[in-house]
Amino acid sequence: MKKKIFSILIALSFVLISFIGAHAASTAKIGFTYIMSGPLSAYGQFAKQGAELAIKEINAAGGINGQKIEGFFEDSTGKADVALRAIRKLVYQDNVDILIGLDSSGVAKTVVPSIEQMKTPLIITHAATPDVTGSVCNKYTFRISLNLSQNVKAAALIAKESGAQKWTTVGPDYAFGHQSWEYFSKYLKELNPAANFLPQTQVAFPPFKTTDFSPYITKVMGSKPDGVFISLWGGNLIDFVRQASSMGFFNGDFQVLMSLGGATEVLTALGDKMPEGLWVGTRYWFLANDSPMNNKFAKDYFTTFGAYPSYNAHGAYSAVYAYKAAAEKAGSFDKMAIVKALEGLKIELPTGMIEFRKGDHQAVTDAHWGKTAADPAYPHRILKPIKIFKGADVTPSVAETGCSLGAAM
Amino acid sequence: MDILLLNILNGLSWGMLLFLIAVGLSTVFGVMGVLNFAHGSLFMLGAYLCMQAMQYFDSFWFGLLVGPLCAVIVGVLIEKFLLKRIYDRDVSYQLLLTFAILLILDDAVRMIWGSGYHVVDPPAILSGIMSIASQDYPVYRFFLILIGPLIGGLLWSFFHFTKWGKIIRAASFDNIMAEGVGINVPLIYTAVFALGTWLAAFGGALAAPLQSLNPSMGEKIIIESFIVVVVGGMGSFPGAFVGALLLGMLESFGPVFAGRAQMALPYILLAVILLIKPNGLFRKGV
Repeated sequence: MKKKIFSILIALSFVLISFIGAHAASTAKIGFTYIMSGPLSAYGQFAKQGAELAIKEINAAGGINGQKIEGFFEDSTGKADVALRAIRKLVYQDNVDILIGLDSSGVAKTVVPSIEQMKTPLIITHAATPDVTGSVCNKYTFRISLNLSQNVKAAALIAKESGAQKWTTVGPDYAFGHQSWEYFSKYLKELNPAANFLPQTQVAFPPFKTTDFSPYITKVMGSKPDGVFISLWGGNLIDFVRQASSMGFFNGDFQVLMSLGGATEVLTALGDKMPEGLWVGTRYWFLANDSPMNNKFAKDYFTTFGAYPSYNAHGAYSAVYAYKAAAEKAGSFDKMAIVKALEGLKIELPTGMIEFRKGDHQAVTDAHWGKTAADPAYPHRILKPIKIFKGADVTPSVAETGCSLGAAM
Repeated sequence: MDILLLNILNGLSWGMLLFLIAVGLSTVFGVMGVLNFAHGSLFMLGAYLCMQAMQYFDSFWFGLLVGPLCAVIVGVLIEKFLLKRIYDRDVSYQLLLTFAILLILDDAVRMIWGSGYHVVDPPAILSGIMSIASQDYPVYRFFLILIGPLIGGLLWSFFHFTKWGKIIRAASFDNIMAEGVGINVPLIYTAVFALGTWLAAFGGALAAPLQSLNPSMGEKIIIESFIVVVVGGMGSFPGAFVGALLLGMLESFGPVFAGRAQMALPYILLAVILLIKPNGLFRKGV
């Protein structure tokens, strides 16, 4: 009996909550889904900080269309089923007006096809797989961050200039690592037909959980390449760089390109252990753009959180502002109107001007690469010189992405 | 030839680190009958405490000394206030409790030091490269290769030649009889858990200059330690040594010979051992 009353109470409270949720819509609600726990929780932290900074700024300036905004944060844990559950909760229970987030490409690939049923716009800010604005794209899904193919295209352009012919790779043994290598080989082959790539048996794909990279370092050095393309990231990249430099990997026998070596969390952790003169890429670099907007963002972020903004902080921050721009353009918070307004939207972000391309909803955004260099003003390596690849030059055509958004809405 | 030598060295250095961690796990199980899921978290705690101590004393050696000792204090508290209560209960209680400790330790470390990556430098004398058979190799890894057998040898002598070691072995054979002849078994248990904690934390401190520190670093190592202990035989000292070497070599040569299949190699080894020698290589039948 007691149990029954209890469950009725719970059911009642759910009804009540959803009731309140549906009717207290005097604020615009943004649902964020990031990795907030587990080994990669640092990425969720960065995103949350970026998002909170944007929300604070916008609310202080009067909100969007006169309404305050409110953020709801959910933990994806980096697992597809958990992320999907979190997103369903945000949409159906918290009644958010827009979804922002997603770190893992694997999660994104599972979530994106279900977004159509939820009829809620989603702005991806980190997950880089080309597929979510390619083979599985849909009209509700947008991506504001640099994706894998854009970043790797920039890598291929640098690789071509380096003159190195015989290339190999070290990448994490899952879709991201393999796709990075596949795109790198494809793009570089187009740019430099003389380039050749070591066969699958000779390249190195250490599993994500690897902490001892020495066998892979030995293997790559033993294959005597002219250039090594590295798509490891986060903790894997930190471990790799330290172990590789102690084994003489960076002594100049070959070119080294790291597609995500310019991430601030990697540079900060490594400090002066990051060798100088390596080509590294990143989705956002806080010193790359001397615009007032970027300087203000980097400065405010630093004073609030005591660190330079990482690309994930920038992605979440930017997505909130993109939502603001779309809602103001549409003059409403209606989900369909937002989708329409986001399409083709041009907006200035700290990283520079971007445009959500109509054909696949991928932001045409600049790719940042640079050579690692010491600078007394910073406790970690910075990028000097910086090479900025214009979004239009590194973004593949819509036809190439394989995205088809169907008939106009 | 060069590649062969390098891979042997890679396998040895990783294997010796694994040995230190696995032997602690194995000893705790052998003496106390407790399968400690939190062993990996104590490894992680050791690495963080070493880093913290290094910041106070500005010396890796102090970190290596002080960090694991601080972890031992945590270990003793865990044994005295938590583990002690469930020795006479079903084994599932141990699993639940040690798993809970794992979660608490991981989140405590996350709260104190944050979830970002941290890096520890090896001491100047151990950084850099030295040559062996005209092959360059990091000094720190040689240090690891040497310290494994050194600690192992000390432990082995302790268990076989000292009075205390003999008492511990006696208590592990038959704790009721040991209590009957006047041995303070609860004290022995606390001491053994402290030793196990020290081994895990010492392993963590040694691993700190090799890999980045992250609250989840323990979760990765605990799986490999379990494989080592099962392959070598639960509670067996030489078993942990041989198991760790086997796994180290397998992980080092795997990427060369097996390509992508190398991920499965440790588990295949585990399955094969369980099929042909369910008690592990070195444990006598129960």
